[in-house]
Amino acid sequence: MVAVGREVDSAALVARLRKERRGTRASDFVLDVSFEVPSGITILFGPSGAGKSTLLDCIAGLLRPDSGRIAAGEKVLFDSATQTDLPPQARNVAYVFQSLALFPHLTVEQNVEFGLHHLQAADRQQRAAAILEAFRAEKLKNRKPDQISGGEKQRIALARSLVTNPRLLLLDEPLTGLDAALKSSIVEDLRAWNTANRIPILYVTHSREEADALGERVIAIENGRIVSQGAPMEVLDAPRRIRLAQSAGFENLLPGTVLDLREPDGVMRVRLAGSSCEMEVPLAHASAGDRVQVAIRAGDILLAAERPRGLSARNIFEGKITFLEQRGAMFLARVDCGISFAAHVTPGAVRALELSSGKQVWLVVKTHSCHLVE
Amino acid sequence: MNMDPLFLSFRLALCVSVILLVLAMPLAYWLAYSNWRGKFLLESIVALPLVLPPTVLGFYALIAMGPRGPLGKLWLALFGHGLAFTFTGLVIASIFYSFPFAVQPLMTSFENVDQRLLHASSVLGAGRWRTFRRVILPLSLPGVITALVLSFAHTLGEFGVVLMVGGNLQGVTRTVSIDIYDRVQSLEYGAANRMALILLTISFSVLATVYAINRRVWSPWAAK
Amino acid sequence: MTRAKRIPRAWLELLVIAAGIFFAQSNWAAQGREIRVAAAADLKLAMAELVNKFESNSHTTVSVSYGSSGNFFAQIQNGAPFDVFLSADIEYPRKLEAAGSAEPGTLFEYAAGRIVIWMPPEINADVRKQGWNALLDPAVRKIAIANPDHAPYGRAAVAALQKAGIYEQVKSKLVLGENISQAAQFVQSGNAQAGILAKSLMLSPEMKNGQVWEIPRELHPPIEQGAMVLKSARNKQGALEFLDFLKSDSGQRILEKYGFVVPRRISAVPAQP
Repeated sequence: MVAVGREVDSAALVARLRKERRGTRASDFVLDVSFEVPSGITILFGPSGAGKSTLLDCIAGLLRPDSGRIAAGEKVLFDSATQTDLPPQARNVAYVFQSLALFPHLTVEQNVEFGLHHLQAADRQQRAAAILEAFRAEKLKNRKPDQISGGEKQRIALARSLVTNPRLLLLDEPLTGLDAALKSSIVEDLRAWNTANRIPILYVTHSREEADALGERVIAIENGRIVSQGAPMEVLDAPRRIRLAQSAGFENLLPGTVLDLREPDGVMRVRLAGSSCEMEVPLAHASAGDRVQVAIRAGDILLAAERPRGLSARNIFEGKITFLEQRGAMFLARVDCGISFAAHVTPGAVRALELSSGKQVWLVVKTHSCHLVE
Repeated sequence: MNMDPLFLSFRLALCVSVILLVLAMPLAYWLAYSNWRGKFLLESIVALPLVLPPTVLGFYALIAMGPRGPLGKLWLALFGHGLAFTFTGLVIASIFYSFPFAVQPLMTSFENVDQRLLHASSVLGAGRWRTFRRVILPLSLPGVITALVLSFAHTLGEFGVVLMVGGNLQGVTRTVSIDIYDRVQSLEYGAANRMALILLTISFSVLATVYAINRRVWSPWAAK
Repeated sequence: MTRAKRIPRAWLELLVIAAGIFFAQSNWAAQGREIRVAAAADLKLAMAELVNKFESNSHTTVSVSYGSSGNFFAQIQNGAPFDVFLSADIEYPRKLEAAGSAEPGTLFEYAAGRIVIWMPPEINADVRKQGWNALLDPAVRKIAIANPDHAPYGRAAVAALQKAGIYEQVKSKLVLGENISQAAQFVQSGNAQAGILAKSLMLSPEMKNGQVWEIPRELHPPIEQGAMVLKSARNKQGALEFLDFLKSDSGQRILEKYGFVVPRRISAVPAQP
C-alpha cells in the first residue's frame, strides 16, 4: 500500500463486469453492468436480489467476475483480458459490510488498527486515535464490540475502513436499523471525511431518504442490470421501471393505452385500462396504441369535495371514496373513478371536507405528477 | 507400585497431542475452506481411524514398520534400527490412531468463524497467514483446546495399537493400559485396580480443569 | 392420552429395531449340539485338525475361541460361557478347580508344550548349527518371546535362556508378546529377527521356511497344558466327549504331530491341596 499512486482527480472507479450468479430458489441471474463512479458519494439503489452486494464483492475482490475490467483511478484491480486479478488485500478498497464484521475478540482500538499492520506501533496508534476522534468515538477505544451500541459499531466500522487511506470506499447498507438522529450524525461525519479526502464512494441502499440525503449521483440497478443513472431526482423521481417505481414510493401504478401524442404541447393522452378515464401525461417515446404504465404518487393527488373550476391541472376525475383509513400521520383514501386511485389526505382536510367512505369527490392530478414506467 | 507405565502413558499422550496439533492444523484449514469437489474423500480418509478397530490399525502399523514396509525401510535406512518396539514407533502409530480427534474439532471451529470476518480481514490488507493468525486462530481457540484434549485423552486410553506394535518393554512401550492388562493376566487384580483408579482420577481432573477454563476464559464470545 | 404416551414414536421404533437385531443374533437352534472351547493360542494349528477329526465322528460341533490362557482364566472366573477350557498352563485350570468352577474329575494334562528358536530365512545366523549363539549375533537386534509374567511359554523361554547362560546378554533385546501367537507375529513381520516360540506353531505355512532349533527339554520346566470341563458348561455331554477324544489315540497322535509331548497313558490329575 504505497500511497503515492492516489491522484485526486483521476481517482474515479471505472467498472465493467459480467458475472453469472447462481442464486437460491431459481433466482439465477446475470450481473452485467458498466458504470463510472467519480469522487464523491454515488448511491447504488435497487431492490433486494438486484445484485448490489454481488457487485460490491466483485469490486472488492471477494468474488471473481466472469469477464470485464475494474479500475480505480490508474490502478487496475481486475482485467479478464490481461488475466489481472488482485487479491482483496492488495486492492486497498475499503468495504463496510451490512453486518459490519467487527472482530469480536479485539478492542475497538485494535479493530481500527487492524489494517495498519505495516506501520510502526506509534504511527498506528496515532492514526487510529485521529480517525476515532473524527468519528467521535475516541472514548470507546478500549471496549469490545459487544460492549458498544449499534450506532457506535457503525462508526467504528467506518473508522476501521477509512484509516487505511483507501482509494475507494464501498458501503453496503451501512445505516440500516439506526434511528434518524443517529443516521444523520453518522452521515455528517462521513460527509466531513469525504470533503477532506475525495475518493469515490459507492453507497448501497434501498432507502429513499438516505439516497436523497447523501447522493450526488444515483445508479439504479435491477435484476443485475443498470436501469438508469444520473442525479437522484432524475433517477428516483422519474423512474422508468416498475419495481423501481414501487421501491421509490409510487403507490399508483395504472395500466393504460396511449391514445394520441400532442407534441407541440409536450403531452400525450392515455386511456386507463378498464375505465373511460383519459389522462394527460408528459410526452414520452411512445406511439398511439402502445401499452404503458402510469405511476403517480398518492401524495401528488388532490381531492375536492366539489367539482373544481379554473384549475391548471388537466386531469380531473369524478369518483367515490371506497376506503378511508388513518395511516400514521396521514389518511389513505381509495377513490373509484372507474379505476381505483390511492390518495393521501391530511386529517385536517378530512375534517374540513367532511370526507367519508361513500362520499362523492373529484380527483385532481397534475400532468407532471404522472410518470410513465415500463 | 511402579509408576513408570503411568509416566510413560502421559509422555506419549503429550507428545502425540502436540505433534498432532501441528500436523492437523493445515489439513483442517484446507478442509474447512477449500471448495474442492473431492473434499468428501479426504474427510472420509481422515475419519477412518474412528471406525477401524485399533487392532487392525496396529496390525497394519506393525507391517508398515517392519523391514518390508515403507516406514520400516525408511527408518532402517536413516537410523540403522527398526521402528517397532520403540517409543517413537508408538508415537507414530498413535498419531494415525488419534488423527480424526484432532482434525475434526479444528475443522469445525474454523468453519464456524463468520465468513464476513475473513472477508473484512483480507479487505483490510491481511494475507492468508495474517488472517489465520489474527482472526481464525483466536476465534477457534475452543476448537484447538478440544483437539488437544481429545487427542491427549484418546492416546492415554490407547490399548490395541500399543499392544500390536509395542512389545511391552518396561519404560519404553509398557504403557499404563498394557500394564493393567498384564496385571490382570497375572492375576494381580489388586494392583490392576489401583493403577486403573489412579489413571481415572488423573485423567478426569485434567479434563475437568481444561473444560472448565475453556469456555470461560479463552473464548466467551465464541459461544456457538 | 396420558403423559406416558408422549414418548416419541420414532425413538420407540428405533428401540424395537435394535432389540430385534440383538436377539436375532442368538442362535437358539444350535445350542443342543454345540460345545464352546476356550483354547490357548499355541493350539491354533493343532485344533483345526483336532476339531475336524472329532466332528467327523460325532454329532457334536465345536466352536473355538483362541486367546491367552490368563485372559480366559479371568473371563471364566467372571462367568464366560465356555464348555471346555484348554489352557497352556495347567495352573489356571487348577485354580479354577479349587474355586469350584470345574466339573469334578475332568481336569487333566493333555499335552506338554515345546519351545524352539525360530528365525526367518533371510537372517544369516544359522541357528541350526549355532543353537543359542545365534541369538548373540549382532544381526539379531530384537528377540520376541511371550510375556513371562503370565504366559507359560514366556516363562519357559526365560528359564531356558538363564539355564543356557545367555540371559543377561540378550535381556535388552527381548520384546514381549501378549501371548505366544503375538510373539510369532513379531518375528513373522520382520520386526524381531528371532523368537522363542511354541513348537506347535511351526507347521504353519508362514513358519515353514524359517530356521528352527529345538530347545532341549531339560533347560526349562515342563509346559504342562491342562484341560477341563466347566461346571457351568451348557453341554456337558459334548464336552466330556471332546475331552475323551483328546485322550484317545487319534487325538494324541494329532497333538504329537504338532510338536506337543503327549502323556500316552492319561489318568485324571488329582486336585492340588
